[in-house]
Amino acid sequence: MSGEERRVSGEERRASASLEDRLAAFLAARLGADAVRVLALERSTEGFSQETFRFDVEVACGKQRETKSYVAKREPVAGLLEPYDLEPEFRVLHALSQDPLPSPPTPFFERDPAVLDRPFYVMECLPGEVPVPAPKPDGSGPLDDAERKALAPQVASALARLHAIDWKAAGLGFLGAPGPGRGAAEREVERWAARIRAAALPTPPVLAEAVLWLRENLPACDEITLVHGDFRIGNWLIERAGERSRLTGLLDWEMVHLGDPLEDLAWCSCLLWRASGPNAGCLVPPDELAALYAVASGRTVDAARVAFYEVLALVKMSAIMLTGIRAFRDGRTTDLRMAIFDHQIGFLMAGLAMMRGHFAAIGG
Amino acid sequence: MLIPPEALIDGCMRTLIEAVLPDVSSRFARGQLYAVADVLQNLRDRIEPKRAPLEEEARSAGEALARVAAVLGEAGRADLAAAVRDAAAAAPEAPPAERAEALERAVVEAFAQISALPAERAEPARRALAAHLAQQALREVALLKASLLTEISKG
Repeated sequence: MSGEERRVSGEERRASASLEDRLAAFLAARLGADAVRVLALERSTEGFSQETFRFDVEVACGKQRETKSYVAKREPVAGLLEPYDLEPEFRVLHALSQDPLPSPPTPFFERDPAVLDRPFYVMECLPGEVPVPAPKPDGSGPLDDAERKALAPQVASALARLHAIDWKAAGLGFLGAPGPGRGAAEREVERWAARIRAAALPTPPVLAEAVLWLRENLPACDEITLVHGDFRIGNWLIERAGERSRLTGLLDWEMVHLGDPLEDLAWCSCLLWRASGPNAGCLVPPDELAALYAVASGRTVDAARVAFYEVLALVKMSAIMLTGIRAFRDGRTTDLRMAIFDHQIGFLMAGLAMMRGHFAAIGG
Repeated sequence: MLIPPEALIDGCMRTLIEAVLPDVSSRFARGQLYAVADVLQNLRDRIEPKRAPLEEEARSAGEALARVAAVLGEAGRADLAAAVRDAAAAAPEAPPAERAEALERAVVEAFAQISALPAERAEPARRALAAHLAQQALREVALLKASLLTEISKG
């Protein structure tokens, strides 16, 4: 996790003593400890959706003292993926806690608002930092060449491992498997189309056209896997050490579902996470990442299916932005990061226009 | 803009006072922050979106719709052509934001109308709408400033 996190602010600071005390009491009970002290509580700025707090705890059991680091994720009052329900995400993370996949072990979930006002879960803090998917001032990507070379195969292998999880055996059937054939694609298109409608804002025509195109071009897939839903740079925890760099964690599972595995590959490869460069996930060219994934997973990567899900990726991000804009417009959040989407969505529409080939109509 | 300027300013004010101010400890900085809030609250009722970009959007959408109606007419779908023309004609002349929004809604509907045609007959209409969307995207991007996403994410 990045060291560049800010302290809890504003009302949170005024209430932070009680937040720390309440967290301590909660953890003491869950850990079966004599006493727990919460130290260095910080709110992370990276996540735009859920509220994320990082903290250390000093645990006393008899004469033994131990220090551990945790992260708590709490439902926001309003936000990008409302209405919120943290429980499915917790159940997935909890189920995967013993899996070799580098997902954070996640032992505790609490829905009772008496504890921290809103539902939250607690996971163990993994080492590493989260590079932001944005170009540096000199225009280069967030990772250097040695890091990219080291990380690309690890990312592809982690994605392949994620898709190899036997979700039925892991008890993840509650996520709801889509129907066969085009069911997975159709469900995702309708999921995000419904969110666009729910935002009740004027739909940019380029977005409306893209949704129409998606509905008319649903691809079939013959295999349903666990899909992270937000697998990308920005949700990868990385220990940066040149050619010895390591992928240490996969974060932010709030869009986890069952579906087409190529959806994750397309999301990670799409324009959104290239930091204005040519590389999928700021790592390697999209074809190269697809090839690494094909080797790691043993799957054939169907380019047309990936292209479909890349368009869906931008539609999905549009839906997320529109939801945030709606929350800010209604005064349900004071998080100004929701307001920046009002102009950022212009970049997104330009990307969507490019992917849909509209620039060809003006000779572009 | 999907957030009206007044709502945007109200939101900025709320964030500054409720989420930022409690973390500002320097007296001078607090005074400056209150001054920003004072400027903003007096700005909110004196501004409106620039007319020229909205008028350009409306003009571009109107032209695209006229071409779509012509293509539909040539394809023997007078009913669909009339629907497109009616939707364009129903857009209010003013204010500019409402006119542009109504014409954009008509563009969205036009995409659905042309999907009823065989692909080869729909193509000229689709190209007219695509040209409008491409130009719209270019106009939007031309107004955007360099992103501060890294600073926003890292604090």
